[in-house]
Amino acid sequence: MTAGSAAGSTASVPSIEFEAVSFAYPDGTRALSDVALRIGSGESIAIVGQNGSGKSTLVRHLNGLLRPTSGRVLLDGRDVRPMHVARLAGLVGLAFQNPDRQLFAGRVSTEVAFGPRNLGVRGQELEERVRAALEEVGLAAEAATNPYDLGYSRRKLLALASVVAMRTPILVLDEPTTGQDARGVARVRAVVAAATEEGRTVIAISHDMAFVAECFRRVVVMRVGRVILDGRPEAVFGEAAWPELRATYLEPPLAAVAGARLGLGATPTASSFVAALSGRAWARRGSHT
Amino acid sequence: MTVVPAAAEPGLPDYVARQPSGFYRSINPGTKLAVAALEVVAAFVVPGWVGPLLVLAVVLATAAAARRLRGLGTIALATTPIVGSILLINLFLLPGASDPIARLGPLAPTWSGLWFGLQTVARLMAFSLAIGLVYLTTAVDDLLSDLARRGLGRRAIFVVGAAVQMVPATIERAGEIVEAQRSRGMDTEGRIWRRARGVLPLAGPVVFGALTEVEERTMALEARAFSAPGRQTLLRVPADRAAHRAIRWAAVFALVAIVVLRATGRLG
Ligand SMILES: Nc1ncnc2c1ncn2[C@@H]1O[C@H](COP(=O)(O)OP(=O)(O)OP(=O)(O)O)[C@@H](O)[C@H]1O
Ligand SMILES: [Mg+2]
Repeated sequence: MTAGSAAGSTASVPSIEFEAVSFAYPDGTRALSDVALRIGSGESIAIVGQNGSGKSTLVRHLNGLLRPTSGRVLLDGRDVRPMHVARLAGLVGLAFQNPDRQLFAGRVSTEVAFGPRNLGVRGQELEERVRAALEEVGLAAEAATNPYDLGYSRRKLLALASVVAMRTPILVLDEPTTGQDARGVARVRAVVAAATEEGRTVIAISHDMAFVAECFRRVVVMRVGRVILDGRPEAVFGEAAWPELRATYLEPPLAAVAGARLGLGATPTASSFVAALSGRAWARRGSHT
Repeated sequence: MTVVPAAAEPGLPDYVARQPSGFYRSINPGTKLAVAALEVVAAFVVPGWVGPLLVLAVVLATAAAARRLRGLGTIALATTPIVGSILLINLFLLPGASDPIARLGPLAPTWSGLWFGLQTVARLMAFSLAIGLVYLTTAVDDLLSDLARRGLGRRAIFVVGAAVQMVPATIERAGEIVEAQRSRGMDTEGRIWRRARGVLPLAGPVVFGALTEVEERTMALEARAFSAPGRQTLLRVPADRAAHRAIRWAAVFALVAIVVLRATGRLG
């Protein structure tokens, strides 16, 4: 597992393991308590939880920005503690929540090239990656624009593209859909779907439950530094888990609530809801004739 | 100068009217500001090394006595992107410098560039630490109500307040910017040359963020009727003892003296 070869190919996507990870900030704030979490190679997983529950803190452990106060973080069974962030960046691409805390270049294309260039990508390959990443978020026409001439939602898509272009085997997105309109959300979904399709591991932090239910096969719910629920969207958003969810100020997706009210079972996504509803309509029609 | 009587209003909680204590912390905010102004002017106007080094020595001594050295250290750290770029630019690009230290391909760092860069950095540090010390030893509200009591216009007060309040926000923002760029593979742990390349990716968002923040703060203040006519209510008026006044006037006098001496060419 070397950063250089892993970047660009998805041949080896490392598994992730948090082993009893606790973390306290220097001021004493205890942000993670004894977190144990295994994420297999190629999983798509959403992390949800109320503000301050430790989501951002957790993912900052993946590329070594933060080191556990106690416990270990393992990639493919190897402790990341001795590895430099610059090296881990070839394995774990982390897109921050606020684009304005990273954009610096005078041109959109230069901004996107920054990450892959740091990983040693040059020439044609670099150009191709920049082009493809901009294409993916719908900014291909803006390659020569100054990032600060773009509106907030497009700056955010640019920040996403600048991490996507690194083609890391693990892609981590901190609140990718906040501030996006329907079209922007669709772009983010496409990025998640494409990365999952290619076999990368995708981890996203989100407060957008519809996005979570539609795009991820596993949902982890955090509360005051602990993982309290972990499972498929059908289970985590299922009626049995609602009290737990609401205790941490999370609303299950509308489709899940409507499905349960109508007795359709677990329908966390709009499409599963529609399918269940039309299935029942067919059954009714069948019984009438 | 109009002085509004102290307004220790009945029914206000105790902490509103309680006076700060401790060396330097208890000194009148206006006095601290006057001293800082003198220090800033001295650092930039007195030619050569004397100005900046003297000011740095005074600021550090005061900070040590007030037990605020750690805080100043953080502020010094926050200026590293700017300090780094000043040093690099002068080292390689000082116009007219012709005393190369070494040749590195097309690059020729010069001794005079290094010297001039260091001096500029010393001035900049004297400037930011002098202001930083006021910030570390003064509750912003105290400073602003003291200035308001002296009849300083609201706009001027806003400029001072915004500048002072930007410090912690900027430090916090700089921290996250460093994290974001490291996540994109920027090497902050490797060799010096690789690290030097990181100046722009760090300084860009810091400066831009600071500008947007001031703009937003201005608009938010306007939205809360900042410019509405009529006198603002002051909750607590900071102490202003005879000694504080004396230091203040001495500082103002010294400041004027330095500027006049410099303007008449008597400072070299
Ligand atoms: N740099 C820091 N220093 C001290 N405490 C911090 C720092 N960053 C975060 N915290 C605290 O750690 C806890 C977890 O914060 P974290 O940012 O991980 O939460 P989050 O789940 O990402 O929240 P949000 O949904 O608001 O982004 C919070 O109590 C927060 O106040
Ligand atoms: Mg967060």
